[in-house]
Amino acid sequence: MTKSRDGDEPKAQDHDPGRRRFLKGVGIAGAGTAIADHLWTEAEAKETQDGARRTVSGATKVTLQVNGQPRAVEVEPRTTLLNALRNHLEPAVTGPKLVCDMGTCGACTVLLEGKPVYSCLVLAVDAVGKQITTVEGLGSPEKPNAVQAAFVEHDALMCGFCTPGFVTTISAYLKKNPNPSLEEVREACKGNFCRCGTYPRVFEAALAAAKSSTPSSSPSQGGRN
Amino acid sequence: MPQQQPQPSPSPKPKKKIRVPRVVNGVEQMVEIEVDADSGPGWGPNDKHTLLNHRLTRVDGPLKVAGAARYTYDQRLPGMLYGRILRCPHGHARITKLDTDAAAKIPGVKAIVPAPLTELRFAGAPVVAVAATTPEIAGDALRAIKVTYEVLPHVVHAHTAAQPDSPKVVAEENNLQEKAKNGDPAKVEAAFATADAIVEAEYITPRIHHACLETHGLVVDYRGGGSATIYASTQGTFTIPQDAAKELGLEQSAVESRVDHMGGGFGSKFGIGTEGMFACRLSKEAKAPVKLMLTRYDEFVMAGNRSGSWQKFKAGVKNDGTIVAMRARQYRLGGIGQGSQAGQPYIYRMGDTYREIYALHTNEDSAIAMRAPGHPQASFAVESLVDELAHKINMDPVEFRKKNLRDEVYHRQLDRGAKEIGWSRRNRVAGSGPEPLKRGLGCAVGTWGGGGNNQCKVDVTIGRDGSILVAVGTQDLGTGTRTFTRAIVAEELGLGMNDVKEQIGSSKLGSANPSGGSTTAASLSPSVKDASIKARLMMAERVAPLLGDAKPEEVVFANGKVSAKGQSLAWKQACASLPAAGITSHGEWRSDLQSRGIHGVCFAEVEVDVETGHVKPIKMVHVQDGGLPLNRLTLESQINGGMIQSLGMALWEGRVMDAQLGMQLNPGFGDYKLPGTLEMPELVPIIDDDDKREAVIGIAEGCIIPALGALVNAVFNATGLRIRELPITPDKILMGKPV
Repeated sequence: MTKSRDGDEPKAQDHDPGRRRFLKGVGIAGAGTAIADHLWTEAEAKETQDGARRTVSGATKVTLQVNGQPRAVEVEPRTTLLNALRNHLEPAVTGPKLVCDMGTCGACTVLLEGKPVYSCLVLAVDAVGKQITTVEGLGSPEKPNAVQAAFVEHDALMCGFCTPGFVTTISAYLKKNPNPSLEEVREACKGNFCRCGTYPRVFEAALAAAKSSTPSSSPSQGGRN
Repeated sequence: MPQQQPQPSPSPKPKKKIRVPRVVNGVEQMVEIEVDADSGPGWGPNDKHTLLNHRLTRVDGPLKVAGAARYTYDQRLPGMLYGRILRCPHGHARITKLDTDAAAKIPGVKAIVPAPLTELRFAGAPVVAVAATTPEIAGDALRAIKVTYEVLPHVVHAHTAAQPDSPKVVAEENNLQEKAKNGDPAKVEAAFATADAIVEAEYITPRIHHACLETHGLVVDYRGGGSATIYASTQGTFTIPQDAAKELGLEQSAVESRVDHMGGGFGSKFGIGTEGMFACRLSKEAKAPVKLMLTRYDEFVMAGNRSGSWQKFKAGVKNDGTIVAMRARQYRLGGIGQGSQAGQPYIYRMGDTYREIYALHTNEDSAIAMRAPGHPQASFAVESLVDELAHKINMDPVEFRKKNLRDEVYHRQLDRGAKEIGWSRRNRVAGSGPEPLKRGLGCAVGTWGGGGNNQCKVDVTIGRDGSILVAVGTQDLGTGTRTFTRAIVAEELGLGMNDVKEQIGSSKLGSANPSGGSTTAASLSPSVKDASIKARLMMAERVAPLLGDAKPEEVVFANGKVSAKGQSLAWKQACASLPAAGITSHGEWRSDLQSRGIHGVCFAEVEVDVETGHVKPIKMVHVQDGGLPLNRLTLESQINGGMIQSLGMALWEGRVMDAQLGMQLNPGFGDYKLPGTLEMPELVPIIDDDDKREAVIGIAEGCIIPALGALVNAVFNATGLRIRELPITPDKILMGKPV
């Protein structure tokens, strides 16, 4: 019995990054044409014309707007925004964490045009031309925003691996709803998991941050909705 | 409570007298006590601290909230490769052919290392590992590898594995292995005859996943030279170098391990593990640094789990509430491993008892330690049993527990918890509340050791510029180790939290124990305290001549000043008298500064929708003692965490295995249900300050134990349904029949 782990039978010549990776991209993003159009001027990759779709393959240079800075980076069409930030940008942006890699835990949350997204489910090429704000763009250890300060004050973290995701989600939410109820806070961060068990204090911190002030001005542009 | 003196040792150390603050007749004054010449006094009364036993925000908090804390997973080194592991898709198989040619030809693939074993006993067992220039290419390589398996019979369900005709996990060996027999079965049978009521019941808990958000893994920084640095997500900085050195062919002293921050372990992260073995071998082959962090799927199928349990009981009780006899048969469900389970009747007095403990093997990865290994399983079963016995003789469950628990601390804690939850609101008749949303209350108790051991060596260095550095190689799992380390030094020197810096997380620093068994606080804090006292005494010797020729023992360190004889120096002025290199003290562990043995009780209120089977936790209260609370803020956080993890085990979590395929059906956060924000009840963590022990004790594990029993008993009180298998999913409520 011959079987790969996936159950299919890959052949060496099947290793065609262009086709497979691009299809994977379309499958996730559902916007293949838009991806290609974004990149056309910068793509150094091979081009083919396939009906209305054009295929980009191989490594491609793009510019991402990260925390207000233009950042040049080489990615493949299949590279997720999270992997681009963590593994391709130089220097790396590692605030957003890779935890589940399937859009369930929220540890990779970043703001795209001010809206929280799971960056493990966004292709890097789909983020071109959009404002990307990570937890690093919300504040610094020396100058935290109101949510970050409240997280420290209320001990809303233990191991801290989920913390960037929670901070990012809540910071965005408080811009939308500066005076939430406890129930609204729970609802706002239901897409974020914590394993150490910090939830009650995350709620406390979010409510305290809302009370203390509107979140202090962040160096990046967010909150457009 | 009188000051504890250091325990006598075979060769008595030289003694000296020093003056310390003491409350005498309600007035604080300086008194003279005798201590080791090179040592100092104890912690003093728990309510007399300036920093300890206060609410201290954690010192690494600002880094963590800003995404600036650097975890192992965040390491990115020049030329670093990304490792991935291919896993066996069968419950039991033998590799007959491994073809990596196509994978090796993919541009960017730099190393391929096969697993040492060719017989694979569980789905998820590692087959081969690759390293490539990007994570994406490493994934391509795995897909291009062809493996031919001879598929062998497997068994993944305990009940099947116990049958005589079951497939064998290990050929020629019985799946069922006897581990222990304790007690006299004949005496127990005789005692049953004296009981007024008998309960017979079976309780089952599934495998539980640690689900550390940072998966297992490490970064091996080795480029072919004579030394290496290993960045590891580990609970034991010092558990890494030896095994890594062996794999790399280096001297142990040439390998440094680094653990700056780590994203959760809960008992599962000691040593380099299989992934570390592969990472070292890949790095050696590629002559480049390799980062190998498990994927989330890997983490579920091979990074270990809390062993499942299957426990059968018979117990007898008298109408006055005395339990007279118990017989238990306990199966530890640890997959290919041994599993763990505390022996019954756990912490209860049950008259004559007899127990048999077995390991029952299945084709699953080995269970490994998880926060209080074996205790939540044992506690869930015995607390259910106790509740069933109380119900049988119609006795209040709190009173029934007091009757069968010798330790008075539990009695006091049960009263405290009962008051907090409003125990009088419970249903006198289980299930008698109005439908469809039925409320109920339950309780349970737990214990743990939490004592320390003699492994930590701490250095405190005071610079001539007034800077203070406390250094030790320990690790901070998010438990607040950095914070209490800094606080102990700052308090001893009469300073604030910002006046001290700490350096931890390196095997090149002073040794430290691995963080297992809730031993870190009780192992580390005495050594930090000892180093702090010695540093203070060294400073006092230097500074005394500047303070009106005071004696060293008269020098007081408080409020940022060093004072004696009515004169005082600001801290920096005092430090200016130090030699150019500053002074460094070396701290050793002192057994008198720690203790062991803790108590906790949990009360829970639930609301059960008997039409949908949905169980909603409403409120949980946990009362926990633990000697001197080093930091009340982080201690309460740990109690919350214990309650929440226990809540997950009670209501939602559990590995699901497919009998035919032998594979896990829920190896991801989409299918393995963790507690989330919407399910959170009101949580009330209570530190039991009636515990006056002036000693540090670890509590992390104690506070995960009793909530399971409290929740399942609350479901019974709400519905009259006794759920004997976890988790309490809606099907069990809907199919349940009142007992």
